[in-house]
Amino acid sequence: MRSMNEKSATLQLFDFMGGPDGWGRPRGREVFQELLRGIEEHPGTTVFRVSLKRVQRIDISFAAETVIELAKRYRKEKGFCLIDVDNEDQLEHWEAAAVKQSQPIFVWMDGKSRLIGLQPTKGTARALEFVIKREKATAAELASALKTPVNNASTKLKQLWEKGFLLRRQTVAASGGIEFVYFRIA
Amino acid sequence: MPALCNLEFPARWVDSDQFEMALQRSSGPHQPDVREVVFKFPIGCKVMVDAAVRLLSLANQLNHTFRRVRLEFDEGEAGVMGYFNRMGFFDCLAEDIEVTPDRPFYSSASLFRGTSDSLVEIASINPADRIAVQNVPGRLADALVNACSRRKDIKALEKAAFTVFAELISNILDHSSTRLDGFAVLQLYKRKKRKTGSLKVSVSDSGIGILDTLRPALNTTDPALAKLTDTELLVEVIRQGISRHGKTRGQGLKGSAKQALKYHAQLDVRLPQSRIVLIPSRTGYEPHKAYSYGDLPLIWGTHISFEFDLT
Repeated sequence: MRSMNEKSATLQLFDFMGGPDGWGRPRGREVFQELLRGIEEHPGTTVFRVSLKRVQRIDISFAAETVIELAKRYRKEKGFCLIDVDNEDQLEHWEAAAVKQSQPIFVWMDGKSRLIGLQPTKGTARALEFVIKREKATAAELASALKTPVNNASTKLKQLWEKGFLLRRQTVAASGGIEFVYFRIA
Repeated sequence: MPALCNLEFPARWVDSDQFEMALQRSSGPHQPDVREVVFKFPIGCKVMVDAAVRLLSLANQLNHTFRRVRLEFDEGEAGVMGYFNRMGFFDCLAEDIEVTPDRPFYSSASLFRGTSDSLVEIASINPADRIAVQNVPGRLADALVNACSRRKDIKALEKAAFTVFAELISNILDHSSTRLDGFAVLQLYKRKKRKTGSLKVSVSDSGIGILDTLRPALNTTDPALAKLTDTELLVEVIRQGISRHGKTRGQGLKGSAKQALKYHAQLDVRLPQSRIVLIPSRTGYEPHKAYSYGDLPLIWGTHISFEFDLT
């Protein structure tokens, strides 16, 4: 499930909450500050997998103020996904918060991803699917797979990056020019 | 001569419907000329939690506005007064309010708090003291689990209920702008003969009312919504998740109503001068399945009750 070459870290949300339950915006904002400190302890890390292990009960406001707010704030720079989700009811709260904030969030379960919150447009859905399966891709690779012009593929990937579905890093292409490698949040 | 307002409850079960009827039979305790309010509880009167917390908020509001307030319990501690003591009613009742025959000698809520599997005693919600209420949603949800541990869907119900409790209490903390405490309470009612039951959870505050905080913002952000009646607007708050803080907020009532709907809970919202009872349908809470009551006697704040059928 983990993307190759991208530095990632796992955050145990329970540890930041100080207990199994979390509710309300004020408490969410406090935990958000704790999470920020946790992120600062991992300089250079681009993907944070937030584990929900031992998190028992949360409400939508708490979800919105913590991980969803983090994902929104760090959009285009760092990615946040959820792991160790063991119940559908709690996931509903994360989803409701993500929808309201127009933030896509990947949830990884048994190596498979599920996207909650903002969904890709029809025009970009296949591009996103391609990167999720490949783990990472360039515009040239996407263009070849979808049989579409490179500038079109590049636009789709850029849109996905701007909306928070993907991350990207700049590399030097074989031609010597600059290109972006887009990668999934996993 | 200062006007006296008598509010007399019937010698039977008093839920929020009966509470409203008693209020309407009175001259309206918040009327400007009223200087003294007497609440009368005859022998045989039993008050359910949804009515109890509304009564508690109302009594404290009247005391706060310098009215003389008295609660008369004809049956003494053997009747509803004993139950009020057990649920912590008198612990939250303003000290200046008179009680006859006398206030209970000791608080049975303090003595037995947390020991019942069917009652979660009244919790005071003071917006200035968030830490004190931090464990209230958990305690309410734990009580629900204890009361309904045999249900197959108890895990899901527990999480749904936690959300409902948390969002309702958050509403008080975040929106009510109240100087008086709000209250939350839970009671399981078992119908022994039919082996069924229901669970009522009620949250009450003395703030400015959920729609009164919303309407001024809607006048500029969404005039079409601002033109809706209270009933229509409340249904939209629940369905769309509307907030005065913009489109990224407003999940509170919507989220809790969604969870409550899963268990076909009835939702009762009392606003300062109106009341809306939403009956769940297959597709959610719909305006045509809402019963609305307007021009009611004034009670400050927002008072919300969910009744979960536990069949």
